[in-house]
Amino acid sequence: MKITIDHLTKDFGSTIAVNDFSAVIESGELIALLGPSGCGKSTMLNMISGILPSSTGKIFFDEDDVTDVTPEKRGVGLVFQNYALYPHMTVLENIAFPLEIKKVKKEEREAKAKEMAKLVHVDMLLDRKPKQLSGGQQQRVAIARALIKNPRVLLLDEPLSNLDARLRIEMREEIRRIQQETQVTTIFVTHDQEEAMSISDHIVLMKDGFLQQVARPQELYDEPANCFVADFLGNPPINKTYGVVQNGAIVLDGGCVVELDAAKNLKEGHKVILSMRAESIVIDEGIKNAEGTVVETYVMGKEVLAYVSLGDYKVRAYIPAEKSFGKGQKVTVGLKKRGVFVFDAETGERLA
Amino acid sequence: MLDKIKYSLKHLTVGRVIIYIFLTLGAIVMFFPFYWMITGAFKTYFEVTAFPPVWWPSSFNLDNFVTAFNMAPFMTYFKNSVIAMVGSVGLCTFTTILASFAFSKLKFPGQHIIFGLLLGLMMVPFEMIIITNYRTIIDIKIYNTIFALIIPFTSSIFYTYILKGFFDSIPDSLYQAARVDGCSNWKYLWRIMVPIARPSLVTIILLNAIASWNSFMWPMLAVVDKDLRTLPFGLYAFVSEGGAETQLMMAASTIIVVPMIILFLFARKQIVNGVARGGLKG
Ligand SMILES: Nc1ncnc2c1ncn2[C@@H]1O[C@H](COP(=O)(O)OP(=O)(O)OP(=O)(O)O)[C@@H](O)[C@H]1O
Ligand SMILES: [Mg+2]
Repeated sequence: MKITIDHLTKDFGSTIAVNDFSAVIESGELIALLGPSGCGKSTMLNMISGILPSSTGKIFFDEDDVTDVTPEKRGVGLVFQNYALYPHMTVLENIAFPLEIKKVKKEEREAKAKEMAKLVHVDMLLDRKPKQLSGGQQQRVAIARALIKNPRVLLLDEPLSNLDARLRIEMREEIRRIQQETQVTTIFVTHDQEEAMSISDHIVLMKDGFLQQVARPQELYDEPANCFVADFLGNPPINKTYGVVQNGAIVLDGGCVVELDAAKNLKEGHKVILSMRAESIVIDEGIKNAEGTVVETYVMGKEVLAYVSLGDYKVRAYIPAEKSFGKGQKVTVGLKKRGVFVFDAETGERLA
Repeated sequence: MLDKIKYSLKHLTVGRVIIYIFLTLGAIVMFFPFYWMITGAFKTYFEVTAFPPVWWPSSFNLDNFVTAFNMAPFMTYFKNSVIAMVGSVGLCTFTTILASFAFSKLKFPGQHIIFGLLLGLMMVPFEMIIITNYRTIIDIKIYNTIFALIIPFTSSIFYTYILKGFFDSIPDSLYQAARVDGCSNWKYLWRIMVPIARPSLVTIILLNAIASWNSFMWPMLAVVDKDLRTLPFGLYAFVSEGGAETQLMMAASTIIVVPMIILFLFARKQIVNGVARGGLKG
């Protein structure tokens, strides 16, 4: 089912948690809703589920306006960050609960619950109470409970944040598998970029309640719409430098001149941000965009992480392990086309 | 077993010995009246009044109980006590659940002010409320009926306060999850909240039952008919009207206390748990 979010706003009085947010989520997709803590992800999800009324704006499921529809009538499945399993019920009763509410007969709903339990691989735990389950098992029970009523939309609020690193990777593959088996439109909230990248068809990136960009994971990384998106994605973080356009080049604070084709079209005197991914910087390889000095090197095994000073800035760059540079060595710095961006210093908008 | 004894001996310090001595003394002081009452119920008139006191009855027979039962309608008293207890505890539990839910999970204007006022009312001593309650039961014409023993006790701020505290500790995400699962407020309350709060509820019910069972002053004021008396009031009347002999009094007292002692022994764990633990452990 397609979800259309139309100029949605949630004003808490003290904060505007979601601000004029518009996006379309195609049927059957798995969307990651990504953003730093406090940016309004949960608020967004709660409005889609109907738990939280919106201040202004509309939400459509396919063509139906569901803005004023109560949560029980929206037909969404929701998995909470803390799973919110009913502690006094067994796994089987938990999974079957939405059907119990719908007054489905006991045998029928238990049969369905067992089927769901099998799908999420908890069918050997049916008689346990939530307390007797591990985090990963609880989560799968919560997913089964969310899926049993055949929801039109599955919403997951940071479901993996309580798990250890290995289980987390296992579980996200599990979620991907379940989503593809059931083909339910899914929104997956996370503040972990790697998680978002690996699991989703599209990423919706937000900040301070505003939508920043909707794109496929690779596209978000390769073509960030603004400085925030570029900063948010990537490990190590992107190298961010400030400078001014002069004579078709960018002069960084501290006087380092960076020759850049992209800068030729920019207005003289324009204050810009030059952001470069570490893997897009090459040193002494025949391409010359600027000159710098090696400040420090760290051997990482398959490559070397070098800190190179460009004007006032120290940028990270990866260099092949077989090359060696001494501290203080002058080098030529080359920039690849890919992974180098220019943003407006004031608005953060992408210029090139 | 041996290990256990060794272990306890190893940790037997002077401080602990003193604590144990005090606890033992306390236990004896608490236990003694019960001992005296129960053994007294089996003694003869001469044994009860003998000096120096007789510590152990010469024979255990039920003569005193039979005599006491013949002198006053204890079965009727017992029945009245049970009706008053079941009625007031049942209704009170019901209203307590509803009020706690409203104050804990619903949003309505004046919520905090109203709850604050109610808490303030807890400061008013029971003896003062008796006067207004007395007038009220006369006005609504239930004076000297069994309802007079039930209606004034169908709500409790104190128990509402306790249960609200427990409800507060149940995370809102459970409520939201239930809403998304299609649950109404009413269903959520009875299907999710109440079962989760069971330990607290059991505590409340037990405390309330004990208080109701033992209440004396109110039944004495609210009813005059002999066949509406509850056990504590009946016992008082038995002593004051008949000039009953001590051993019969002991027998009658035992009849009153034994049900509560049995109840307490069965539910001891629940009571202690409920009082000691306010929150919901994950
Ligand atoms: N009930 C509320 N009343 C007032 N402000 C709120 C309320 N709920 C959330 N907020 C505010 O709205 C903003 C967004 O909150 P939200 O919970 O949606 O963030 P989030 O993106 O889910 O963060 P996290 O990753 O930490 O879960 C925050 O600034 C928060 O303080
Ligand atoms: Mg959140």
